[in-house]
Amino acid sequence: MKPFTVHRGKVAVLDWTDVNTDLIIPARYLKRIERVGYGPLFFADRRYVQGGAPPIDHPEKHGAPDPDFPLNRPENQGASVLVVGKNFGCGSSREHAVWAVAQAGFAVLVAPGKDEGFADIFEGNALNNGVLAIEIPTPDWERIVEVAGAGGAQAVVDLHKQTVVVQNGPATVEVPFEIPDARRERLLKGLDAVAETLLLDADIARHEQAAPAWLKPATA
Amino acid sequence: MPSTLFQKVWDRHVLSVTHESTLLYIDRHLIHEVTSPQAFDGLRLAGRKVRRPDLTFATIDHNVPTEDQLHVKDPLSKRQIETLRANCEEFGVELFDVKSGRQGIVHMIGPELGLTLPGTTIVCGDSHTSTHGAFGALAFGIGTSEVEHVLATQTLWQGKRPASLGIEVTGELGFGMEPKDVILAAIRALGVAGGTGTVFEYYGPTIRGLSMEGRMTICNMSIEGGARAGLIAPDDVTFEYLAAGDRPFAPMGRALDAAIADWKTLKTDDDAKFDQHVAIDASKIAPQVTWGTNPAMTVDADGHVPTLDELPSAQRAEAERAYQYMGLTPGVPIERIPVDVVFIGSCTNGRIEDLRRVAEVMKGRKNAQGVRTLIVPGSEQVRAQAEAEGLDRIFTAFGAEWREPGCSMCLAMNPDKLQPGQRAASTSNRNFEGRQGPGGRTHLLSPTMAAAAAVTGRLTDVRRLPKV
Ligand code: SF4
Repeated sequence: MKPFTVHRGKVAVLDWTDVNTDLIIPARYLKRIERVGYGPLFFADRRYVQGGAPPIDHPEKHGAPDPDFPLNRPENQGASVLVVGKNFGCGSSREHAVWAVAQAGFAVLVAPGKDEGFADIFEGNALNNGVLAIEIPTPDWERIVEVAGAGGAQAVVDLHKQTVVVQNGPATVEVPFEIPDARRERLLKGLDAVAETLLLDADIARHEQAAPAWLKPATA
Repeated sequence: MPSTLFQKVWDRHVLSVTHESTLLYIDRHLIHEVTSPQAFDGLRLAGRKVRRPDLTFATIDHNVPTEDQLHVKDPLSKRQIETLRANCEEFGVELFDVKSGRQGIVHMIGPELGLTLPGTTIVCGDSHTSTHGAFGALAFGIGTSEVEHVLATQTLWQGKRPASLGIEVTGELGFGMEPKDVILAAIRALGVAGGTGTVFEYYGPTIRGLSMEGRMTICNMSIEGGARAGLIAPDDVTFEYLAAGDRPFAPMGRALDAAIADWKTLKTDDDAKFDQHVAIDASKIAPQVTWGTNPAMTVDADGHVPTLDELPSAQRAEAERAYQYMGLTPGVPIERIPVDVVFIGSCTNGRIEDLRRVAEVMKGRKNAQGVRTLIVPGSEQVRAQAEAEGLDRIFTAFGAEWREPGCSMCLAMNPDKLQPGQRAASTSNRNFEGRQGPGGRTHLLSPTMAAAAAVTGRLTDVRRLPKV
């Protein structure tokens, strides 16, 4: 994974609460074998006009965008920082939900309330995929929504300094955020779970060298 | 310090402990077509390799048609299968493909090929990996990200060591009784969440008296009791299984002797304590049948569908839904329930001994009119063995369909499905709504019981089946 240090990008707001993983990506798409191609499947049953959700094996063959879906507004196009409501990603454990978020272009998610912003499993999956999921106090989150809600806001998310700065014309909000050290380290170094484990390579190799001969599969 | 079998196997594999996490080394990684594609994709995206292709083995089981394995008509199934082939090729993983002589349900072929060994850690992106615990291995199912993690590192992060739950089985299994009845009775006693957060160890004289096949049937369904894994201490039965026959990947000669010396230490110490304990007297149980939509909704074959007031109040709401889904009236005798389909197979009961017992019941009898009976061997080896023994001829003379190996109607990812409303007597392990096809109704039971249902066309206590 790429190290996450400072991210600059356009801000979009989707302030619905309790957005579940079925909404983020409907269950039928789990028949897919790929780990890519989930971008167009992000909110597949909400973001297109009726009947416009793409077939399982052809995500690119989707219908026209539904103008009522907030993320379809022209000013939200190209956004990479998504401000979301409380308990985002609740429901099933499907990692496909995070794949959809990331592949729809979002690198940062900002939710309100400590330990309430994201569902546990979703949060873990986000980390495993290098997506920064930030929880901030609700009053700060409300200020961000106020500044960014109209669209067109830009954000600078600095993981070293642990700050989010949102600017829209003359209005600016700067909010500090907290993140557990281990997670921060992993994101800063661009380590996924695998990369982190590989830091223990010497231990793994030592264990392998000590393995008794019978443990090695005999070959036919 | 005295320790349990599970603790011994766990401790051997701990590489690192930080905070609440433990890094375990994985000795065998088994793979199938459904839960591996994104894991391989992840490796590719990160430019990684499989760390130990020599410890990684793949087969095709869930999607494979059992009428003719070579003709996969569903394009999505076909794509999953072909993806596994391409991934194995690219990453240097050995694939036991259809018609290789070694293909089969992933939990069948691990033991058959001698990959499953006592004292090892075994994982697979599949919850019934618990099956391999019958050899005294610590074996459990994992998710797709974890599959990728094991592919890349040959290790897996776990939380703290789970608690242990000892299931002691005593008493002789009576006429018509099978290991399946023991595990169904255990789940019935424990409930489907009874084992959550624990690892089971099955022990006691009844377990000692079982073959490896029977032990696998029991460990297979540990997951239905809520445990991730279930173990049985290895003994002479285990060692003989591994030394005999065609087990190309098992140690041989001096390596086997060294292994057995080590494996003999793999047992729960006399003074070690399980965190929890359950006792089952096998001589007191009747053949078991599930009536509802989870594996703990089980009754005796000579009993009836429980009425609401026979159930604890906490279970009534679920029972009411189950009556409806299953199309059953509370209080109706089990033996009065007609079946449309009999499915004999799966990683629970698709082994040679299961088929031998089925053949005993079917020999000289006829399939009930209007009932479709599928017999699906769990692997190519089992199929070949059954044919060498002439079992297939007994099955076809009876009027059953003798099929090619795969998961088949256990979960209906291939063309073997129940139609909505159809009722099956099934030797598989899950009776969830829609598991064997949308709207399908499943009664779990043993192979002999399934064969009896095929004879009479209804659920039947095999002990009462008239002699031929
Ligand atoms: S036979 Fe059934 S339970 Fe066993 S691996 Fe196949 S689908 Fe899963």
